[in-house]
Amino acid sequence: MAVLHAWRTARVTPLGELHTPPRITAVLLRLTVQVVLVASLWHGLYANTGTTAGLDVDQAVTYAVLAVLASRLRELDQYAGRDTVLQHMHFGTIVYWYLRPLPPQRYHALRALGEQLYGFVWALAGYGVCLAAGVVQPPVSAAVAGVFALSLVLGQLVLYFVMLVLDQLCFWTVRNNAAMLILIFAQNLLSGVYAPLWFFPDWFLTMSGFLPFQATLSVPLSLYIGRIPLSDAGGQLAIQAVWVVLLALFTRFLWRRAARRVISQGG
Amino acid sequence: MSGSIEVRGLSRTFHTTVRRPGLLGAVRSLVNPERVAKEAVRDISFEVAAGELLALLGPNGAGKSTTIKMLTGILTPSAGEARVAGVVPYEERERNARNIGAVFGQRTQLWWDLPVRESFAILRDIYEVPKAEHAARLKEFDELLDLSSFWDTRVRHLSLGQRVRSDLAAALLHDPPVVFLDEPTIGMDVVVKEQVREFLRYQVTERGRTVLLTTHDMTEVERLAERVVLINHGRLVLDGSLDEIRRSFGSTWQVRATLADAHADVTALPGIAVLRRDGPQVVFGPDGSEAPTVHQALKAVIERYEVTGVAIDEADLEDVMRAAYVQAGPVAEPVAEGA
Repeated sequence: MAVLHAWRTARVTPLGELHTPPRITAVLLRLTVQVVLVASLWHGLYANTGTTAGLDVDQAVTYAVLAVLASRLRELDQYAGRDTVLQHMHFGTIVYWYLRPLPPQRYHALRALGEQLYGFVWALAGYGVCLAAGVVQPPVSAAVAGVFALSLVLGQLVLYFVMLVLDQLCFWTVRNNAAMLILIFAQNLLSGVYAPLWFFPDWFLTMSGFLPFQATLSVPLSLYIGRIPLSDAGGQLAIQAVWVVLLALFTRFLWRRAARRVISQGG
Repeated sequence: MSGSIEVRGLSRTFHTTVRRPGLLGAVRSLVNPERVAKEAVRDISFEVAAGELLALLGPNGAGKSTTIKMLTGILTPSAGEARVAGVVPYEERERNARNIGAVFGQRTQLWWDLPVRESFAILRDIYEVPKAEHAARLKEFDELLDLSSFWDTRVRHLSLGQRVRSDLAAALLHDPPVVFLDEPTIGMDVVVKEQVREFLRYQVTERGRTVLLTTHDMTEVERLAERVVLINHGRLVLDGSLDEIRRSFGSTWQVRATLADAHADVTALPGIAVLRRDGPQVVFGPDGSEAPTVHQALKAVIERYEVTGVAIDEADLEDVMRAAYVQAGPVAEPVAEGA
């Protein structure tokens, strides 16, 4: 099983980042600025308000700051490492993915795992600093923390598969820039990165319920701040799990179809 | 493991959409696309013995790369079959992957952001090569390709020659019996080219690897290949030694003679035509029928005429290949690969 021995592929992103100190500095600066601005914004919005959309100021600020940190989990500039499907299709190097005893889908998954673990270290460090500084509130109980952790993992899996569909699109269209722009906007809006979904009208929440985006971030963060009570956690986790299974099956199907397209696009 | 390659009646047809010219044409193509079938490779058969280096030659778009892609398992043929080291490559991709190494021109398989040595380590894990074996092979490749002078440099900062040498090493680190090289020295300077040729020669003669090489560099062919397969328009035109190719397509010699008598009558000799005459200077060449060799022609000219000076021009391999491409048909249009 080459996949067991190929763990080193998971190190590609962290190693690439560590070999490029300016990128680390840029991440640090960006995170700091984003956290400070987001915290200030939500404190300002709540200056004359007690509770709105079911959230008080502490919950809103905690949600917004955690959203900034969580978006760090998979937001790396993989483009710089020339290891995106888009770039491999463009340069014709995608053929090498099909010339190794490690199947492309496993390679892609291992790369993403390494990237997410690296991002997790950043997010965890940021969380520790924000918690110590009193910017975010701790979870109200160990049970909430546990459910949040499980929901976050499921959410990241959903996000991985959504991003994977975009990558796989390149096998048919070569470029996915337009689709990526749409997805980034949709993801940020519908997952609650820009603002918690609780501030949106009911019709928006209903529509959002049929899409996978809120399962990526809104659900785990709402569990963390207590906007979704523990009693409702089971249902939400089940919905996330269903999205994981559906997207896993869909992307598995696309990988099979993509293998027939390797040559036609840049092989 | 035997590293032989067997190809029997291999064909590949691509279906592409015709792009009509102009704005209206583009709209029509969008609304009512016209699909056409193009045969990139047609009924090709050849064999490469284990430990042999074969040059697969042909003009651009002849079907060389498509053939290599079928043999590496990336592409499934429309008809025919192939076996590489006993494996049908397009049916058992992963098993085939362990038996082959490949370099596709300037397309690198190394990780852009990492030092070369990290890329090698990743490949070691992917191919499950034992550490000691990996280290020994890396040492051997370093001696041949001088890798250690740059293997701690990130790939993005390597020169083309350094990158191609690294890619060659990367393709062979798992000790594959069969190696596919699609224009590996394209764009490289002469010194690095020679280093790469030495490396390939060593891999064939000392390590017994089977190498299938495509190149447009005829010096490379002369120095490395004993046998060539020539394809054009997707069809096999010739399978033989360089001497056979020269015999078939290379009779483009010229004999330049300076006659003692500037006004002597000069007529054609059997198989030899008078190409030009300027006073005592006469240029003889093959008349296209049963042309003699250049040495036979030289002998015939000297015996027939009194000459004060003589010189011969023989076609080099590049001229021979040009003649072969032209005689085998017009230079092919590249076939757009569409599934």
